[in-house]
Amino acid sequence: MSYQEKKTITSIVSALILMGAYTIDALGRYRAGAAPLDNLGLWAWMMLKYIGIGIVVTIVLQILFHILLSVGIALREKIRDEKSDDKAIERTIKGEMVEDERDKLIELKSLRVGFGLAGAGFIAALFSLVLGYPPAAMLNILFFSFFAGSILEGFSQLFFYRRGF
Amino acid sequence: MEGKLRITNHIRRLRFFAGEMTQQALAEKAGVSRQTIIAMEADKYSPSLELAFRIALAFGVSIGEVFECESKRDES
Repeated sequence: MSYQEKKTITSIVSALILMGAYTIDALGRYRAGAAPLDNLGLWAWMMLKYIGIGIVVTIVLQILFHILLSVGIALREKIRDEKSDDKAIERTIKGEMVEDERDKLIELKSLRVGFGLAGAGFIAALFSLVLGYPPAAMLNILFFSFFAGSILEGFSQLFFYRRGF
Repeated sequence: MEGKLRITNHIRRLRFFAGEMTQQALAEKAGVSRQTIIAMEADKYSPSLELAFRIALAFGVSIGEVFECESKRDES
């Protein structure tokens, strides 16, 4: 598995953790009556909080991933050749983590897929209002569709890396 | 004359004749990842013109010696 694929899986995992945490939190509050559907300010604040947490979680997971990957590559190089020095190991790590034109193309293609889902979510959110659902439902549909879009973007990346194009 | 273009390459053969150059060594010379070289050798990725030239330069040959194009004309 390539560096890009591992990085994508890390992003998917962080998005899934966040989506799960938000769902549990939101459902818990709603069932306890602490988050009424007509209090849009409260829902918006909760979502903003999770966006902030999401940024922090993503950064922390990416840092951890890069540390673990670097350690893994360094160990592999040492096992392969005991005489390999720090410079050689550093060069191998840089070589593994290179991002080229194919990665950028795959990123763009996947972004389009992710935005497609987020756009569909926006339309679904509008329909929810037309059908008479409370505005908080619309907000949640929007929020989930953006999360789902970013997860689908990750899976599309994995698909393009495996299938090629 | 519309039809599909199929771009193939001789990277694997050229690596062999370059003293069994490794995919990693070629990737470093061309400034791409090893996975991109693997994808190209498996005909799963057609590189940009710039990368095509960089690969040709890495082998010291012309671009036509690395890449080949077959056109499939529409019969209808």
